Amino acid sequence: MKRNRKRGPLRFGTVAKSVFTCICIAGVGVGYVWEKNQVLRLGDEIKKRESALLAIEKRNAMLATQLAQWQSPSYLELRCQQYNLGLVSPRETQVVRLYEPGPEWDTKFTPVAMQPPAQPRPAATKELAKR
Amino acid sequence: MTPSAHQTRALIVVVGLSLGFSVLGVRLVDLHVLQHKELAAQALKNREQVVHRQGRRGEIKDVNGNLLANSQSVRIVTADPSIIATQANVVAHKLAPLLKMEEATLVAKLSAPGHYVRLKAKVDEDTAQQIRSLKLKGILFEDQLLRSYPNGILASHILGFVNENHKGVQGIEASMDQCLQGTAGYEIIENDRHGHEIRALRDEEVGPRDGYNVILTVDQVIQHVAETELEKAMAEHHPQAGVIIVSRPKTGEILAMSCRPTFDPNKPGESPADARRNRCISDVAEPGSTFKIVVCSGALNEGMVTLDDRFDCERGAFLYAGRILHDAHPYGLLSVEEILYHSSNIGAAKVALKMGPAHLYDYVTRFAFGRKTGIELPGEVSGIAHPLSKWNLLSITRIPMGHEIAVTPIQMMMAMNAVANGGRLMKPILVKNVVDQDGHIVMQSGPQQMAQCITPRASILMTTALRKVPTPEGTAPKAAVEGYDAAGKTGTAEKIENGHYVSKYYSSFIGYLPASDPEISILVSLDDPEGAGYYGGSVAGPVFSAVAEKVAQYLSIQPLQPFDPKKVASLR
Repeated sequence: MKRNRKRGPLRFGTVAKSVFTCICIAGVGVGYVWEKNQVLRLGDEIKKRESALLAIEKRNAMLATQLAQWQSPSYLELRCQQYNLGLVSPRETQVVRLYEPGPEWDTKFTPVAMQPPAQPRPAATKELAKR
Repeated sequence: MTPSAHQTRALIVVVGLSLGFSVLGVRLVDLHVLQHKELAAQALKNREQVVHRQGRRGEIKDVNGNLLANSQSVRIVTADPSIIATQANVVAHKLAPLLKMEEATLVAKLSAPGHYVRLKAKVDEDTAQQIRSLKLKGILFEDQLLRSYPNGILASHILGFVNENHKGVQGIEASMDQCLQGTAGYEIIENDRHGHEIRALRDEEVGPRDGYNVILTVDQVIQHVAETELEKAMAEHHPQAGVIIVSRPKTGEILAMSCRPTFDPNKPGESPADARRNRCISDVAEPGSTFKIVVCSGALNEGMVTLDDRFDCERGAFLYAGRILHDAHPYGLLSVEEILYHSSNIGAAKVALKMGPAHLYDYVTRFAFGRKTGIELPGEVSGIAHPLSKWNLLSITRIPMGHEIAVTPIQMMMAMNAVANGGRLMKPILVKNVVDQDGHIVMQSGPQQMAQCITPRASILMTTALRKVPTPEGTAPKAAVEGYDAAGKTGTAEKIENGHYVSKYYSSFIGYLPASDPEISILVSLDDPEGAGYYGGSVAGPVFSAVAEKVAQYLSIQPLQPFDPKKVASLR
């Protein structure tokens, strides 16, 4: 080994390259750790959301049951009685049905008692029909 | 120190280190190579955990989407008495109002020996959250799935119930179990030292699939009407049992099916097995006079009789094959139409004699008696319709009045539907469709014609005669429906106990409306009504009327014109 070799001045380019390489390696390392951390954080976030969703689904099922109970005919009847509303269904004879004029209703659906008296068509209509 | 001493020491160190590293190397080889499989598996087991997740059981809804059954997650509150015992009184004082339990009971449980005690099951999520917020040490929660029936006893015999494993035992819960049950999923997870999952390290994840929702043809409101009216009839006549079925004759859809006694599917264990039985499909009985529709429609269909043909009803006592057949009232000459609306046993027997046993048996099988209807409910029985070879001399006169044959209410309902529906025998439908959680249809059922029992002509003639039953002329004036033209048939069948007829009766009425274009048909049957009246017309008829009126209003059924008299006259 030559002990008397001359040492030249440090070149800026070399130093810069070395520093840049070190920064890159450190950056990659830090980035890796940061990314891992982010993955774990996101995992925790997802877990929390999953738990929240599950809880909401459970609550939803519970509320659906409660709603069904409140909408059940027996419950509604009970409430009507409690409030003394006196609500009763009308009887068929208390219902007045309004019929659409037309051949279908006249021949098929209109009861005899409710059938409107036959009215002659206006002459103009007859004429139009002939044309 | 001499160089040799240095060398010796260095050698000792080198040898020592070499030995040490060799031992470590051997151990490493042992751990990593020789014991690799076992240790790797153990490490994986310590790190990973397989969590199974069950899919939610599907819901059962009525035809309008009203919820009839669903599953909800509840909690079991447990405790570790070894942690709590010293503070049992304080903890019990805090928990008692939330768990709605007595403080003394809780103290006793919390002071028990051991590490586990169950405090209360079926605790809802809100209450569990309140308990959790108390931050009590030693109080734990376990998940529990609960099948809930929000309407209680409503449609309980249709819905059925599930066992503790959430498996259907009865009703739709059992018959549609495969659809309702979800598919289990699993996750392979890793936990941290606190036992919490590290979500980022979740290895494998197969999500569970929730069960399909089953949509029934049953209408909650009509079911409620049927149940309410049946309850009233039970209170008035005190029968042993009662059933009401409401259906659509044209499609065979079951709109309501109600039985008494009944049970609460939320607590099935609290009712006797007898109350849990669906009598509409599993109880057989002699149908009585309602069976006259089979013999008369058969004879009309074959052209062997017309509605105006007259038969001598022997003033109420007809001797045949050495036995006397009686009528409830003495009649002379009756037309076929009158035989139906006066419900003459002798008249029906004479119509059957004119038909002959082969033809009568043919119509018994055409109306599918002795066979299951195929309704989507477990436990249906086929009834008893003896083959022609087993008929005796009397059978030809007894079967027309509904003796020597046993049918289920659903069979009789479907037979009447066939008469109402132009002779088309439909399969009863209870499940409208099966949908997934997003509402996409997975399975759909539509009207299914099983047979053409009689011609539309015979059907119109039968309806013409049956229209007179709920009139002052007929056997069931109380079955008349205000504002509607209804048709139907009464039945009063003697019960058989220990092989003998006893003075107990099945009172029934089966009818439909509007008679000319039936939208609904209703069967009412009461088993052994008490009190003065036991005839189908006076006991079951009013129940039919009440149910029909309410259902017709609810469905906005138009009170249609009766058949054109000229058309009926031409068919006669």
